[in-house]
Amino acid sequence: MTHAGPALRGGASVHASPNVVEVRDLDKTFGANVALAGVSFTIVRGSVFGVIGPNGAGKTTLMRTLLDIIRPTAGTATVLGSDSRNAGPELRRRIGYLPGDLILEGRISGRRLLQHYADISGPVHEGRIEQLADRLKLDLNAPVRKLSKGNKQKLGVIQAFMHEPELLVLDEPTSGLDPLMQQEFLSLVQEASEAGQTVFLSSHVISEIQQAADDVAILRDGRIVTIASVEELRNTAIRHLRMSASGVGAAELTAILAAVPGVADLACTVDSSALATATATLSGAIQPFVQAISTLQVTDLVVEEPDLEESVLTLYSAPAASVAAPGRDRS
Amino acid sequence: MTAPGVRPRGAGRTPDLRRARLPLFGKVFTESWRSLIGWALGFTAAASLYLPLFPSMNQNAQIQDLVDSMPAELTRTLNYDQIGTGPGYAQATLFGLIGFMLLSIAAIGWGASALGGDEESGQLELTLAHGVTRVQVALERFAAMAVKVLGLAALTGVLVLLWNGPAQLEISPYNLLGTGLLFGGLVLLSGSVALLFGALTGRRIWGVGGGAGVAVIGYAFNAIGNQTATVEWLHALSPYYWAFGHDPLGSGAEWGAVVLFYALSILLAGAAAAALRHRDVGV
Repeated sequence: MTHAGPALRGGASVHASPNVVEVRDLDKTFGANVALAGVSFTIVRGSVFGVIGPNGAGKTTLMRTLLDIIRPTAGTATVLGSDSRNAGPELRRRIGYLPGDLILEGRISGRRLLQHYADISGPVHEGRIEQLADRLKLDLNAPVRKLSKGNKQKLGVIQAFMHEPELLVLDEPTSGLDPLMQQEFLSLVQEASEAGQTVFLSSHVISEIQQAADDVAILRDGRIVTIASVEELRNTAIRHLRMSASGVGAAELTAILAAVPGVADLACTVDSSALATATATLSGAIQPFVQAISTLQVTDLVVEEPDLEESVLTLYSAPAASVAAPGRDRS
Repeated sequence: MTAPGVRPRGAGRTPDLRRARLPLFGKVFTESWRSLIGWALGFTAAASLYLPLFPSMNQNAQIQDLVDSMPAELTRTLNYDQIGTGPGYAQATLFGLIGFMLLSIAAIGWGASALGGDEESGQLELTLAHGVTRVQVALERFAAMAVKVLGLAALTGVLVLLWNGPAQLEISPYNLLGTGLLFGGLVLLSGSVALLFGALTGRRIWGVGGGAGVAVIGYAFNAIGNQTATVEWLHALSPYYWAFGHDPLGSGAEWGAVVLFYALSILLAGAAAAALRHRDVGV
């Protein structure tokens, strides 16, 4: 009764396809409004896949489609081996879902509400709810309607994680959580991933995706602008650099640095003690730059952490055609 | 070994939580038992205020004279023409008026909230993301509404039975049973229409509109149809008349009508399930 059968549980069934989610040419229109257009991607078992995009980009529509809450106009979404459309309750028992605009109401306590969701999801181990509530510092006895937004969000997180589903679909999961709880949440995601669970999460907070995800899809106006690993995205990202060197003139330093691929916004000055200082931005690989300055007497060098936010914002705002696939091709 | 031998992760470590058999059905009651008690108290109060007045009305010729002196259209509209008998009095005041009104308000509210209101508030999305089918959600919630409506109808019947002696109503228990079933079925029909409209639109207000429309139009068509023979055909379109048009409390219920109400309600619940099944939810 309580056991859904071995094939339904456990992230590591041997025969399973490595792809937990396979989305092919997914279109969704609401009247004249195009929510998704030709979206395709796959999520590999055990990975954390993030999707980022501005509001209205289609993130929520995409996630709802995987849960069969809305139906695609065209294309298919295969989730854990079955077509998401009308796949039935057995599939959804293996998924944990946290909606983007989570609404929880009612006089009943958080504990009763979670018990209700346990009744209609995959089997939940005894004590699991309390364990998660402890970690998130949530009082399970308070009536749901009296909880703050952040505490309701914690209930949402618990109901998504409590049955240890093979796939977690989390729409803006940290919204409303304070920074400490956001970190706790990210460690839950990491543990899930280590346990073989697959995580699909959306966010508009790039640092969060950067910290949690292995791969990132950038969604804009219902289309995927790029799919890249966080590492690849980082490589395309712009680094700000500042260096000083002695025994070299401003013109010479400018010539050396300008020859390095990816250097832009270059400015050189020489101070009274004949120390030349250059500032610039660098995109792409760092190796050519290091090689170029190896002959100089470098007295100071600062290369900042690549700013993912900046590069993603570039992708948001650039026309779709010019950013077809920057991630994979350039690295 | 391959997949069939793979044990569920964590199996044997800790037992799983027990799961409820009809979770969605049960959830309705864990959420609404307070309001259900409120309605029950309301019905008890209404019945206990109206029914004990009958002996004084019956023995007081002036009241019968008052009713007789009222315009015939008015007495027909209020179904007061039979008010001089116990069954006629209980029918006109309780089943036909205050009880009908109260139970309709309750049932239409429940029906409209069950799917339409739940979707509108955003909570249906999360329920549907779990291991349930939409048909199951619609039918379990319909069943919960039906149980609540029939519970209150049964309570009304019990109250009449309790007052039957003290208030000298002289109602036959058999006729009371039939009337109670008709009463519950009539109201369940409005509630089921509210459920269907909510399922079709995802909006509570449309459910309330649909359900209230059926209740009000049914009442109005019965009242208008009572007036003259030329508009009597309106009775055919009035669920209220199907239920109460033939004096069920005095002369016995038509069992065909009883079956009709419950069959129609189940049909409407099926339609609500089908409607919900084919829609995008929460858009």
